[in-house]
Amino acid sequence: MTLRDILPGEQCIIKGIYVNNLRKRIIDMGLTTGTVITVKKLAPLGDPIEIHVRGYSLTIRNSEARMIEVDKIEAKR
Amino acid sequence: MIRIALAGNPNSGKSTLFNGLTGANQSVGNWPGVTVEKKSGRIKHHDFEAEVIDLPGIYSLSTISLEEEIASKYIIDSNMDLIINIVDASNLERNLYLTYQLLDSKAPMIVALNCMDIIQKKLDNIDIQALEAELQVPVIPITANKKQGIKELLSFIATFDYKNQTRDHRYSEPIENVITDFTSILGDRFLAVRFFEDGLKAIESANLKPESVNKILEAHRCAAGKFAIDFDMVLPNDRYDRIITVCNKVLTKSSVAYVSKTEKIDSILTHKWLGLPIFGLIMLGVFFLAFGPIGTTITNWFVMGIDWVISKIGAGVDSLGMASWVSSLITNGVFGGLAAVVGFLPQLMILFFFLAILEDSGYMARAAFIMDRVLRKFGLSGKAFIPMLIGFGCSVPAMTATRTLDRDEDRKVTTMIIPFISCGAKAPIYGVFAGALFFRYSYLIVFSMYLLGIIVAILSAILFKKTILKSASANYIMELPEYRSPTAKNTFLHTWERSKGFLIKAGTVLLGAFIIIWFFSYFGFVDGTFRLLADEEIEHSILGAIGKFLLPIFQPIGFDSWKSTVAILTGFIAKESVVGTLGILYGVTGNVVDNGTLLFEPIRAAFTPAQAYAFMTFALLATPCIAALSAMRKELNSWKWFTFAVAYEMIVAYLVSLVIYQLARLELGTFLSILFAIMVLAIVFFTIRRFIVRKGVVCGSCTSCGLKDECALPKKTEFDALLETKQKDDVK
Repeated sequence: MTLRDILPGEQCIIKGIYVNNLRKRIIDMGLTTGTVITVKKLAPLGDPIEIHVRGYSLTIRNSEARMIEVDKIEAKR
Repeated sequence: MIRIALAGNPNSGKSTLFNGLTGANQSVGNWPGVTVEKKSGRIKHHDFEAEVIDLPGIYSLSTISLEEEIASKYIIDSNMDLIINIVDASNLERNLYLTYQLLDSKAPMIVALNCMDIIQKKLDNIDIQALEAELQVPVIPITANKKQGIKELLSFIATFDYKNQTRDHRYSEPIENVITDFTSILGDRFLAVRFFEDGLKAIESANLKPESVNKILEAHRCAAGKFAIDFDMVLPNDRYDRIITVCNKVLTKSSVAYVSKTEKIDSILTHKWLGLPIFGLIMLGVFFLAFGPIGTTITNWFVMGIDWVISKIGAGVDSLGMASWVSSLITNGVFGGLAAVVGFLPQLMILFFFLAILEDSGYMARAAFIMDRVLRKFGLSGKAFIPMLIGFGCSVPAMTATRTLDRDEDRKVTTMIIPFISCGAKAPIYGVFAGALFFRYSYLIVFSMYLLGIIVAILSAILFKKTILKSASANYIMELPEYRSPTAKNTFLHTWERSKGFLIKAGTVLLGAFIIIWFFSYFGFVDGTFRLLADEEIEHSILGAIGKFLLPIFQPIGFDSWKSTVAILTGFIAKESVVGTLGILYGVTGNVVDNGTLLFEPIRAAFTPAQAYAFMTFALLATPCIAALSAMRKELNSWKWFTFAVAYEMIVAYLVSLVIYQLARLELGTFLSILFAIMVLAIVFFTIRRFIVRKGVVCGSCTSCGLKDECALPKKTEFDALLETKQKDDVK
């Protein structure tokens, strides 16, 4: 499952990052293995996506989100 | 002199702090990447004096864009006496990442903890002493935009014994072992840490001997096997782990649930359905306020004032009884020209004012977020939207703003298409022609010029991406800053800074241009003698001669008088002067730029609507003014690219004007049949193309992933390649 498959409002935890050219930047921005991410919303045109990570809002494109492997965290009821 | 560098994340308040410390009026905005060049200023506190350098914001010492490289290089290479690391307290976790990278260096450091007001508002609490103990450097709480804590920071810097600062930060055991190995080869711990993170890129400038390079590659290969996770993630992971521990210790979150203002605003402004229409409305609104009835009314008042002043000056000069050429120079050359430019100021200020509000509030970043999908189609990143939007005001700051883009190719493409976007200086040209010839359709005609500029810019971007700058893929990763209400002071400062830039340009480059134009148009040979000409003798002037000489080239695009050619020529010096020159050439007295109606009569007599439209098109698309050209040269940083860009713009301007003029001259029937033929050709072309182009391009190395654009496997870096050859050598 990749970050792209997570719907707005859902949370997930990073398992691996397979991005090419922005890899270092994505890691430096705090997206490391084990980090919890909340997907906040999609841009009006469906791409990029806004995520909440380490207390701030980051926007990345779907093409990068597809390269980030995650596990979905099921909402507690 | 003691040198102090300000370092911190983008949008963490560095420029605001810089202004607070030095009293300088730096431009401050609320979108990541406002400072595009390092700037320096002086601070004084009693008898303490120091030079402060404001660097572009960086998230990390590993850089991906030019502006970040400037900052990172500066911090790593130059031995600063002190680094003030500004940390956004409301975003502690991410901001401390850079802090920990900086702590690896030996440079003395202070942390300025900014945005304490937001922490208070959230009812959170940060234990400053505990943070100091963890970081082992002094921490000073400040609120830069409210000027709180600046004095304390200043007196601390003045008395701080930075030379004796010591700190000892250790990573976890296995990492420290690797760093020790690297340090023994490289001789410097900081360099070893940089090498750990960035690979060979970090030691490029260290000029290592070949055997040392071999040794370090060996050590790298050896170390990489020791960790379960990817090697480049080892350090960041460890750092973030430490940061979380620190945050848990020092930061107490309030028990009251805090729903941020930003979230509420964004639920509307970047809403799934509302986001795009609101964006359109905001852009249209700014545009309407600047160039619609309100802007025009303010401009008219302003111009009436200027006209009054100039008429007084004119009368004064005449009464002095100076030589005829002197009074001509003063009234026609200097003041006539300056009035033309300055009269344009109110509209520009309104535009700058609203751009400042959009920047300061944080909406610009949202605009990039909303527009990214669209701009990517043209090979640009959403971030390119910001420079392009500024381009509607003036190309010069727009081109400077391209430095926030991550890749060189993206910067080139954006810089080269900005001149096509109709800048504020071109507006008076449309005003005069559309008003004179298109009457109640004049608004539509002006709008069509803006649209034409955008279309040509977009098509050029696509063309560049498909041909000469294929590698331009435009990365996108951007932080959305919290919304802030723009402060009046900042907004006016911003507006004033940009307007000042425009006025200085008017006073220097443009004044010179107007004097040259005056000389060219009031001097010439009549019956073999070179002398000052009267107004009605302008045909004999030097400018007239050049215009006549060039006329044949311009005839196919509808120029039938040397006066048009001359006006366009002066536009290369400054677009603002095109209308002013027309005024001089058609012998109109008074301020023609803002009181365009004065020019309506002569223009109606001299131009057909088709000719006027072709003239406007050429003025829109042809090479921009000298100030923009110098900015373009600076940003492209190569004479080859600069020459190409200028030639490209000239050719495009000529061809588009040619097509428009020739089409506009046709009778309706002929026009429609040509349109029909083009449509048929287009349909045939696209049908054929659909059959030829393969559906979905797979990278080739593996066919299973089904990704069209990019391969999922990490690309081989230069480092990996070197490592591989090294391994092959070992086998031999």
